[in-house]
This record gives sequence, structure tokens and C-alpha cells, in this order.
Amino acid sequence: MTRLAAVIAVGAASFVALAFLLLPIVAIFARTSPAHLVHQLSNPVVRDAFVVSLKTSAVAQVLIILFGTPAAYLLASRRFPGHALAVTLVELPLVLPPAVAGIGLLAAFGRFGLLGSSLHTLGVTLPFTQAAVTIAVAYVASPLYVRQAIAAFEATDPSLAAASRTLGAGPVRTFFRVVLPLARGGLIAGLALSFARGLGEFGATIMFAGSLQRVTQTLPLAIYAEFDQNFSATLAMSGVLVLVSVLLLLALRIGLTWQRSTSTTSLSLFGLSHSN
Amino acid sequence: MRLLAAVHLTVFAAASLTNVFPKIAASASYSFGGSNMLAAQIEQGAPADVFASADTKLPAQLHARGLCGTPVVFTRNALVIVVPRSNPARIHTVSDLTRRGVKVDVAAAGVPVGDYTTKVLHTLRLLTAVTKNIVSRETDVRSVLSKVALGEADAGFVYATDAKTVAGKVTLITLPGRAQPDVRYAACVVSTTRHGGAAKAFVTALLGSSAQAKLRAAGFLSRR
Amino acid sequence: MATLHLDNVTLPLRSFALELTLAVRGTVALVGPSGAGKTSVLHAVAGLRRVAAGRIAVDNAEWTNLLPEQRAAGLVFQDYALFPHMTVRQNVEYGGAAGDLLERVGIAHLANERPAKLSGGERQRVALARALARRPDVLLLDEPLAALDAHTRSQVRGELHELLGTLEIPVLLVTHDFEDAAALAAQVGVLVEGKLRQLGTPAELVAAPADAFVASFTGANVLAGWAAPSRNGSTRVRLADGTTIATADRAHGEVAIAVYPWEITVATSPPHDSALNVIHAPIRSVVELGPRVRVTLGPVSAEVTAESVARLGLHPGQDAYASFKATGTRVL
Repeated sequence: MTRLAAVIAVGAASFVALAFLLLPIVAIFARTSPAHLVHQLSNPVVRDAFVVSLKTSAVAQVLIILFGTPAAYLLASRRFPGHALAVTLVELPLVLPPAVAGIGLLAAFGRFGLLGSSLHTLGVTLPFTQAAVTIAVAYVASPLYVRQAIAAFEATDPSLAAASRTLGAGPVRTFFRVVLPLARGGLIAGLALSFARGLGEFGATIMFAGSLQRVTQTLPLAIYAEFDQNFSATLAMSGVLVLVSVLLLLALRIGLTWQRSTSTTSLSLFGLSHSN
Repeated sequence: MRLLAAVHLTVFAAASLTNVFPKIAASASYSFGGSNMLAAQIEQGAPADVFASADTKLPAQLHARGLCGTPVVFTRNALVIVVPRSNPARIHTVSDLTRRGVKVDVAAAGVPVGDYTTKVLHTLRLLTAVTKNIVSRETDVRSVLSKVALGEADAGFVYATDAKTVAGKVTLITLPGRAQPDVRYAACVVSTTRHGGAAKAFVTALLGSSAQAKLRAAGFLSRR
Repeated sequence: MATLHLDNVTLPLRSFALELTLAVRGTVALVGPSGAGKTSVLHAVAGLRRVAAGRIAVDNAEWTNLLPEQRAAGLVFQDYALFPHMTVRQNVEYGGAAGDLLERVGIAHLANERPAKLSGGERQRVALARALARRPDVLLLDEPLAALDAHTRSQVRGELHELLGTLEIPVLLVTHDFEDAAALAAQVGVLVEGKLRQLGTPAELVAAPADAFVASFTGANVLAGWAAPSRNGSTRVRLADGTTIATADRAHGEVAIAVYPWEITVATSPPHDSALNVIHAPIRSVVELGPRVRVTLGPVSAEVTAESVARLGLHPGQDAYASFKATGTRVL
């Protein structure tokens, strides 16, 4: 192939790829006027879905950070028998089809589930509650954060933590004053990714939590429900999700740039820089 | 249906037809789901040859917009309440559904079985009371059925034919005859089909004795 | 002044086990090839590595089972390990109040800079100040001059020597360069494959190296040959290439002879004194090391002044004579 032909081929393929990715986004905003979309934002279905999505995603994110960060730090800083298995388990929800995740959650936490039956006798039932949405979201989104966090922690120079210890700081102080600030960028990137995934969660949610306006109906569930009833409401909600996604992508970019500036190893998007 | 052996039709059909349609015509490709979602997909240009809905309203709407041919009623169904085998909430009649804390699962508005449910409850003047206990609005009737069969919901509104498919897991509770809605299934040939002849034959065959027998065996009611 | 004790400290390393008994009072340098376990010793004293056996103590304070943050060991890492997200001042104050440390070490003007903006020498000073801010009982330096360029090195070496002199705590430093060790420490220990081959002042190591390794490490030329006593009381050693040299030490059989580069004179014509050992060979290389020049010919390297090199016009390929006295040799 001549050089020119190759350049044209690569250019054309890139254009097609970009157009393909961009078209659905543009189409969402092109089908109705912005005024109409804004008007839809006062539609109770849209508002309620937005609130449910926001609340459940936020709570899920807090849980992911609280439990995922120490787990990621442990997996990044220590090698123990079963380490590889632990990492695989953490990544499992990533490759699990959401519907399967939903079924799994029911099997575990449903009324007659493995853990659920014990919870039920204690008076706690999870299916059909907003808590169930939070759990489903946390389940499918956590691997995205944890993987990124592991990579971020692995990218920090271990001699810095060692230096901190010799200077009189215990492991906890070392974590908060040295490790965390240096891993900050990667953690933010992981946050953005997992938040985005959580916002878009459908299959596991509808299976485990069901879909009820104001209680469990998130934006994706509402989009599906309104699809045949009120297409412009669907467009409005889609538009909202697109905008949020763009913001999250920005956060992801910024996070990755921060990470790159504080570590010597480069951090790739899906945490592929395991050095050990 | 030997006529269809040579042509693979794409049939969009209501979820409640999931078990019986493949018995009637094995060689077609089926997409089962909430009839409203399927109709919406056809409106957006999905490549279906035949549309079989759990009501007459949706095919009529499509027909009015020139998107499908004249709808034909091919069978009827009955709406029932199902409860898990163990009946944890001890539901025996429809009015038990108004008890506090009972978890009732229904299909979303727009899904035929969901609209039928609303109609029934309205007729029985139980709509407001039962609505308080609705915990989820599913995308199709089979999702309602699953939630009840798994024991997660205390009760759900499905078709009698659906209850039959998981007989061991659920118990059926009939609705008062006067409240029973007129559940009629209609099918039509999608206008954009490229197999017009085979599609028409499919719809016609639904009215034939072989298909009708299979529908009766599955629990569907006669079409008149 | 306190003493740092390492008693039978055993550390398993990659291909061998390190066993070390050492008492550090004042400044002691551990030298040896890389991989000998020098850094591991420092890490063990700092508590970053557990010892398999033995004890570490400062006077009567038992350190062996203490966590790193419970010990008061100031460790200056080889790559300095400065916190990149903190300023110089914040780095130094991480261990404790800075006091006048920034001034003493000469980095007060950089207090608000980030480590990334500093030169190697400046970073080293920050690392030092940070370790000292901890008010440590022991100071540990890992290859303190290795990461510096030649010019900065000699300058820092002098300043570091001065600073170490003002400290009242035991200082243990490790380096692969004998000259650095000699300049900074009063005692030097040679660590090879986990064992201490010799411990003494730099002068002792040069005057009486315990073995060929120590000798070559301290910079001597080591020549292998066969010795036989000769009539006049000295010993003649026949080298592999046939040259015979005389040594004042007594020996026979297979021996190794150490000759220090500064005891060798290089000339372009054979020396007149027949009592001298002479090696006649073409010059292989002439390397300038500041005011001194290392001239390699035959099996030996000689250190001569740049002045002599210029005067004699020494250059590679040139035929030359390296001569040294019998008393300038040591049998190992």
C-alpha cells in the first residue's frame, strides 16, 4: 500500500469511528428543541428519576470508597497466598452480565436468599427498596473503582511510605499523609468511572430492586418505562445522562493527569500497569 | 406450519406467548417482550414481519399509522393473581391485597397486562388501596411472574397462561368474573415486511384449528 | 555518645545470608560491591526489615522488635524519597520541628520549593535535614554520594564530613566507593557476600588489607604470581606474564601482591635504580581524575600528577616503565 493510501485509510477509519461514537449523542439533542427538553425537566417522572439516581449513586459511591479503598490498598501493597484470586474476585462484577448480577443479588439477599433469609427474620427486607438499588449499583460499579485504586496505589513509590515510617508516622498516618495524596489522581479517575457505570445501571437494578417511581426508578429505568409513553421525556433524561457523563469524563481526564504528575510510572485507563 | 419452512419470519410477540408460539411455528425468529415496547420498536423501524400483541389497542394504533395491516384477534386470555407457593402473606382474595405490608408486583402502565390490572382494580374500587402496596412496575408480564415465583413479591397480576408455566412455584387466585377485563390478543402483518405472503399465512394460520388447539392446551381462551 | 549494636544480625538475602556483628560509635562506613546486602543492613536497623536472628540495640535500648515508627532512626534513602507533594519545609518538618536545620544544611532559601525543582545535591540536603529533624538516635545514610555528579560529589563530600562531625549520634553509612567511605568515616568495614571481611580505619585497610578483595577494593593493584624467597632476604614473585618483582614481605608459593597506584612512578626511560621493580609495557590508557591522572600500563594502574603527564608527554600506545619499591608492595 502506498504511504498516501495508508494515510487516507487510517484517516477514513478514524473519522468513521468518531462519527459512529458521536452520532447517537448528537441525535439525542437534535430530535427536540432545547426548550422542550428543559420543559421535560419539570416532568415528575423525570425529576423523580433524577433524584433516585442521584441519591442511590451517591450513597453507593460513598460505600465503594469506604470499603473499596482499604481493600485496594491491601491488594496493592501486600502479596499473600490467594492474592491473585482476591484480585479476580474484585474484578468479577466487571465481566458479569448485569442481569446475572441481579439474579445473584436476589439469590443472596432476596427474601429466601442465602443471607436474605437471615435478614428477613431480623425484619430487614431488601428487594424493592431504594437500598436495593444502592446495593445493585455498588455491586456493578465497585470493580471499576477498585481496579483503578489498586493501580494508583501500586504506582506510588514504596520508599516514600517507608520514609514516612522511619520519620515516626505509623501506618495510618502514612496512608493519609503520603499514600493517599499521591494516589489521589488515580482514585478520582476510578471514582468517575464507577460513578458513570453506576448511573447507567439497569439490568441488576430492575431485577433486584424492581422499578417504582420515586422509590427505585432510576434514570435508566425511567427511560425504558417512558420510551413508548413519552418519547420526549426519554430524550430529556437521555440528555441529562449525556451531560453528566461528559462531566464525569472530564473528571476522569483531570484525575489521570494529576496521577501522572505525582508518580513516575504511567497510569493507563483500565489499570493495566501492575508491576509485580 | 409447513408453509413457513422455507422462510424465517421475525415475529414480535407479547411475553405471554413465549412458550406457546414456538410450539405453533418452530422456524420463526421470536422477540418476546412487553407488547408496548415491541410496538414502539416497530414504530422506530425495527425489522419485524408479524406483530402479535396482548391487546387490540396497540395493533390498532399501528394500523392507524399505516405501520401494519388490519389486526386480527386470534385468542383471549384471563387475568389472574398469582402468589408464591408458600403464600407468605396469606393472600386468598383480591381484597387481601389491600392489607398493610403486602408486596404487590404489576407490569408498568402501557404494558397491556399492566393496563388490564389497573382496569380490574378500578372496577373493583380497589385501585387506590392496592396501589399503595405496589412495589414495582415491571417491563413485561414474565418479570412479574418471576418475582412472584422467586418469592420476592407476595402477589402479582399475570395471565392465567403464565401461571401455568410455573405451576409448581405459584398458586393461582381467580378474579371475580364481573371484574375480568376483556383480554383479546390481536396480530397483524407489519407493513415493512419483505415476506408479505408468508407473514399473512402466519397470521391466518393462527386462526386455524392446529394453532387454536395448541393455544387452548396452553390455557388460552377461545377467540370468541 | 551512644553506641549502635548489631549482634549476630542475620538477614536472608537473594543468594546468601547476611551475618553481621558490628558496634557503631561515631561514623562507620560499610563498603562492598552492590548486592552485598549493605542497604538491607540499613533497612534492618531502621526497622523496615525484620531480622531472621540477632539483635539490634542502641546502648541498652532494645530495637530488634520495634516498628520503624517506634525507633528513632534517621534514614537517608539512596534516591532521597522526598515527598513530591510537599514543599521542602513540609518535608523536613514531617519528622519534627525544623529548628535551624534548614540553615545548617544550607537549604533555607529553598524552603517553599517542591522537590521536583531541586538539583541532586539540594535534594540530598533536604533528605538529611528531614532525617535529622526527627532528632534520631542513629543516622543511616544509603549511598549518600552515589546519585551526584562528579563535581557536586567532591563538594558535598566535604560538607557532609563537616556535618557528620557535629553530630553526637552514631552514624552508619553504606557506599560502594572506598574513597567516599574513607573521606566520611573513621572506621570502614568491608562487606562481601554478607560477611564482614575487615573492619578498621581507612589507613589500616590500605596498609594491611585482609585479602585480595579488600586490597582491590581500596584501590590497590592486585597481581597474582608465584613467590620464592631470594638470597638477600626479600622474596621474588614471578608474575603470569613472566615479569619478576621483589617484595619485602616474606612468602612462598601462590601469592597475591598488592601495589597501590600512588606508589608507582611512570617514566619514559628505564629507571637507573636496579633495586626497583620495573614493569615495561605500552600505556593502555591515560585518564584524568581532576588533579591526578590514572595511567594504566601492563597489569598495573599508576596515579601520577597531571604535571608529570604533561612533562613526559604520556599518551596511550607509548612505551613506558612503571617502577615501584619492594617495600611498596604487600603480600596478601
